[in-house]
Amino acid sequence: MTGRKAQAPPLDADHAAFIQGGVSVVVATRNAERVADVVRGCGCRVARDRRRVTVLIEPSRAGTLFDDIARNGMIAVVFSQPSSHRTIQLKGSDARIVKVTPADRAIAARHLQDWTEELCRIGYTREFAGAVRGIAPTLAAIAFTPTAAFQQTPGPGAGQRLPA
Amino acid sequence: MPLTLHAIRPCFEGAVPAVIATCALDGTPNVSYISEVHYVDQQHVALSFQFFSKTRQNVLENPRATVLVIHPDTGAQYKLAVRYLRTEDSGPLFECMKAKLAGIASHSGMTGVFRLRGSDVYRVESISEVYGTGIAPSATSAAGAAELRACMARLAAAADLEGLLDALLDGLAAHFGIEQAMVLLADTRGERLYTVASRGYPQSGVGAEIRPGEGVIGMAAQARTPIRISHATSEFGYGRAMREDARSHGMSAGLDVEIPFPGLPGSQSQIAVPIMAGGRLLGVLFAESAATSRFGYDDEDALMVLASHVGAVAALLEEREDSHEEAPPAPERARPEGTPLRIRRYAENDSIFAGEDYLIKGVAGAILWKLLRNFVDERRTEHTNRELRLDPSIRLPDLSENLEARLILLQRRLAERCPELAIEKTGRGRFRFSVRRPVHLAEIPR
Repeated sequence: MTGRKAQAPPLDADHAAFIQGGVSVVVATRNAERVADVVRGCGCRVARDRRRVTVLIEPSRAGTLFDDIARNGMIAVVFSQPSSHRTIQLKGSDARIVKVTPADRAIAARHLQDWTEELCRIGYTREFAGAVRGIAPTLAAIAFTPTAAFQQTPGPGAGQRLPA
Repeated sequence: MPLTLHAIRPCFEGAVPAVIATCALDGTPNVSYISEVHYVDQQHVALSFQFFSKTRQNVLENPRATVLVIHPDTGAQYKLAVRYLRTEDSGPLFECMKAKLAGIASHSGMTGVFRLRGSDVYRVESISEVYGTGIAPSATSAAGAAELRACMARLAAAADLEGLLDALLDGLAAHFGIEQAMVLLADTRGERLYTVASRGYPQSGVGAEIRPGEGVIGMAAQARTPIRISHATSEFGYGRAMREDARSHGMSAGLDVEIPFPGLPGSQSQIAVPIMAGGRLLGVLFAESAATSRFGYDDEDALMVLASHVGAVAALLEEREDSHEEAPPAPERARPEGTPLRIRRYAENDSIFAGEDYLIKGVAGAILWKLLRNFVDERRTEHTNRELRLDPSIRLPDLSENLEARLILLQRRLAERCPELAIEKTGRGRFRFSVRRPVHLAEIPR
């Protein structure tokens, strides 16, 4: 851990566990005209040092996401637990497309399972969860360094920056 | 065929949360959940503004955004490219969204947290379906043109206001499977809505009143807009509105003159639509169900069409009722026999009691008293609507007041609470007041 330039502190361990659970993952980027695009993700992986987050998406649904990332690297990802409404948003400015690993495929499969359980817990059917998630035969991975985290659970505290 | 907002209206029922992605002027994207995306028309949606959020700050400085919604039946995702136009913090759209949000909050355990500050109106610039999501929808029985047509045919057969309202409620049950429904009419001063017809309740509740602005029904009347909730919410429960009404109007002298509002215990879905006639609020059509999310946009459309038709026909019938046919000869009647029924009238609010039972108050109360006096003083039983309308003792708030509606209310109330007295229609614009037991009238001064 030497030679690292000054940077945001790593993600809190609790938040790291939370965003890797059965939460909804929604990824936003923006183009040169400052118009944001958005896609629902298929899971998330946090690096061991909790400084880097990788979100998985189905590339055919990515819209302008890849172009946007290639041009400006700006990203915002919201993670929300359907049953509790607990929600946090991470932002970064160095997003880039990275290679999908076999571990990522396992993460996406596991995420679909956990997320479906979550939805069933609050009254949705397994079939509905599967339909929203859709078929995900291929995966793409986008990695970024979270530079800011925000509490977004509905309520008066929504939008507050989370302490490191 | 390009996707239209209309085609994906179920996405805007609030059943599945939507998300919005925005971008700050400095280029930082933001993504956030939205509690309520509301269908405004073919080109516009409105988003609930509840908190001063980054999303809101962003759209105020950079109005272009992307909204992702989910179809509650198929799970398909749709992406809307939108542009922020304006915020409304009062009026029909706002009230409609406020009621719906209260239902959504209740459903998601967010009562007290979700509070609508404004309705942010966006123009929808394009819609696309997200690839590979969604399943084929199961066949649903949405209210359609065929049901509407069958219901309209019933309405066309009605000869008077009473028949019209009965046809409406029967039609809703027969063609739309709406088991619990009622019609409330408004007094012209806009102070009260009173129930004149209902279906599907153990007690008809005829005569029960609601004030504009209270609950789903009162809000539909006040804002002249359909109000619909899909999950029970205390905020819009008529139970609360009625209790508070009773408290704040605690009649003096211990007169219990509240007729209990009918209403379904365990009601989850409710819809109220205004019945308008030429820019004037005639009343409200209300339906409810113990099932959640029972009424969708299609039902709302159907009820609005029916209500506007009923409004127009009611206005025509009202004009007709003021002219009247020649009276048939009054039948010779034996004088009623038996122990006299003591009928008291309290001047304070024109409330009338038969024995110890509260019957009716207000304008309908004044009409009943007039009919009783005519019977006692002149043995007169035959009456015309016109004569009542012009009678100064009845004090109709104004000439456009719907007298026929008051007569229906009175007729039904008598049938339920005091069958010794009855109003029987004898022709267009005229009726007979039958008294089947001797009466003794007493006026209780203020």
